[in-house]
Amino acid sequence: MIELTDVSYTYPHTVQPALHRVSLSLKKGRCVMVTGPSGAGKTSLCLAASGILYHEYGGKKEGTVIVDKKNVSEYKSLSDLAQNVGVVFDDAEAQMIFTTVEEELLSALEHRGLSAEVIEERLDGIIRTTYLDEIRDRSPHHLSGGQKQRVALAATLALGNDILILDEPTSELDEHATQRIAEILAELKNQGKTILLVEHKYHHFRDMVDTLVILENGAITASGNPVTVLEDTRIRGMIFPDFSTIRKAVPKPSGSDPVISVQNLSHSYGDVPALSGINLTIHRGEFVAIVGENGSGKTTLVKHFNQLLSPTGGDVIINGRNTKECSIADLAHHVGLVFQNPDHMFFADTVLEEIAYGVKNLDIGNGDAVIDAALRDAGLSEMAGLYPRWLSRGERQRLAIACVVAMQPGIIVLDEPTTGLDGYEARMVIDMLKNLQEKGHTIIIITHNREIAEHCADRIIVMENGRIITDSEGA
Amino acid sequence: MAEILQYVHKDAFLHRLHPYTKIFFIILVTVMAIIATDIPFLILMVIALLAFAAYGNVLSESLNQLKLILVMSVIFILITVITMPNGETIGYVIPQGVPLVGGLIPITVGGLMIGVVLTLRFMILIFAFQLFLISTQPRDIVHAMEKIRVPIDYILMFIIALRFIPTLQIEGQRIHEAQLARGFNPGTGVLGKVRSVSPIVIPLVSNALLRSNVLGLTIDMRGYRTGKRTHVRERVFEKRDYAVMTVMVVAGCGFVALVLARMV
Repeated sequence: MIELTDVSYTYPHTVQPALHRVSLSLKKGRCVMVTGPSGAGKTSLCLAASGILYHEYGGKKEGTVIVDKKNVSEYKSLSDLAQNVGVVFDDAEAQMIFTTVEEELLSALEHRGLSAEVIEERLDGIIRTTYLDEIRDRSPHHLSGGQKQRVALAATLALGNDILILDEPTSELDEHATQRIAEILAELKNQGKTILLVEHKYHHFRDMVDTLVILENGAITASGNPVTVLEDTRIRGMIFPDFSTIRKAVPKPSGSDPVISVQNLSHSYGDVPALSGINLTIHRGEFVAIVGENGSGKTTLVKHFNQLLSPTGGDVIINGRNTKECSIADLAHHVGLVFQNPDHMFFADTVLEEIAYGVKNLDIGNGDAVIDAALRDAGLSEMAGLYPRWLSRGERQRLAIACVVAMQPGIIVLDEPTTGLDGYEARMVIDMLKNLQEKGHTIIIITHNREIAEHCADRIIVMENGRIITDSEGA
Repeated sequence: MAEILQYVHKDAFLHRLHPYTKIFFIILVTVMAIIATDIPFLILMVIALLAFAAYGNVLSESLNQLKLILVMSVIFILITVITMPNGETIGYVIPQGVPLVGGLIPITVGGLMIGVVLTLRFMILIFAFQLFLISTQPRDIVHAMEKIRVPIDYILMFIIALRFIPTLQIEGQRIHEAQLARGFNPGTGVLGKVRSVSPIVIPLVSNALLRSNVLGLTIDMRGYRTGKRTHVRERVFEKRDYAVMTVMVVAGCGFVALVLARMV
């Protein structure tokens, strides 16, 4: 159904090709999964395979792309191509244009030249397949990440094409929501759809993948039956990261003062309770993982540590001071918070200036040395002069951490620091955090990844519906 | 978070009206508000709009932006009092007892009246437009505008501009928090304030541009711009639409009569 032969592509105004002599064949009813480090060209590959690259982008293009027996150049326009291929992009929010789920799907269906009866019938079918019945009338602002992704998928299914291309549909989702997407895709494959899937989480999709493709630096480095491809230990490490060797014997902090003490904390957004009855003590030098489903209150809890949120009830004591008496700027000296999406903070022209911003704000002495050290620890010394948004996701994540580390807070809190990264990149981030712990920092991470929690953290806190349900020593 | 100008899914009177009825309603109300200068009449219009909202079960949504409207009103009135003094002086913005600057800005009856009229007009326009947007699905707006030959690209631009207001609000909030955690200083003085917005505005705009790329591709891939469409679940003109139209025509005629009699 899709045939790429020797496809190379270089974006306008860049030198390095994003894709280099990529050949790929996707047969009817099969599923090909593409994986690789961030910045390897996976999104470019999706754009190339769907013909979007040919029709919408400038730059240098070589090789041929055949979609459904026709060269992409023979299709008149994107709308013409869309008669054959459906693409689900990674940003689900941008794919919801209308104000209710049903409206979104109806709008997609009405442009296919179908009769009104067929539209109603297909609408019901799609809603059933993607489990959207309960949220038919909800607006995009009232959907969770997983629900939005399902709506984006459903709207693409509405087009009724046999070929589906999905670009990291589960990167922001927790285990449960990812599993749901995997089940839906497996069902679609059973119905005869041909699927090109870009993903990191192979283990959720292993039963449906026929061919596994590894893309690195724009070129395919391995391709074939998943079992054979995974015999290579290096590739295994990329897909199944090994965190078991990461634990180092960090001397247990003995009887040290608590750095964070949460006493009977509760918080509500308006009438909606988000946290209730939270009691928690964290000591200097601990590595704590907070796990739980989306919406269980993890992010709400950590925002209290630097006063981005104030308790509705109870107290939060940081280094002996009640947060109610401190400003956010005061607390920035003690608690560093790295948010899930690094792109929410980058605004400077260079990596160096980006790190310097926080250092200047807090008036930290010996700034240049501090910034150099942060760059080195993040493995970004050679990129100091680059524009932050040009870096790969893995590099941007480490830069985000470096920005916070340079501010020298004793406590570093990270929300989902391994989102969208492959095994090696995730490992680099975790190694960086382990080194910080050795230097005496207290590390708190929020993560969906059980393996990271179990192998790296000294303590695992499980949250559910705004409460801590277990708090135990790590393995 | 209050959702500015967003459709709210309900099954109520206003929601069931045809988009044309509501578009005609906006036009009529706008014309009336612009022509009328009589304060009691304008107040009556505001009350009528709110009653209409209550009848359509969207009163609380309509009052969402009340705070903003009130702040704008105060600013409007202040500006007209300062810039358009006219008629009898009834007081001073700065009390006369204050040394040096006391009694510099007189409050005049004329200036105050113009301010109040402008404020009421502003309220009427906002409420009317809000009623339309809260109760009309964007899909229906697209259909209605397509029928009166508005080019589809313009319709989509309009819909998308509204749709992404809350998304940008939420995104802005997240960026603000991320920068606060890095010791972001909101700055003092005009220059400081201007300089301090770049850590917020640059990520917001960069992310929005990235998003608009995906949005554009999605619109093309779903064929929204082809203009070919199956007509399914479309609003038809019903009895209640004719009834409301009749009421509006009568009200319009009544208004013309009042204008001719120089009563408003």
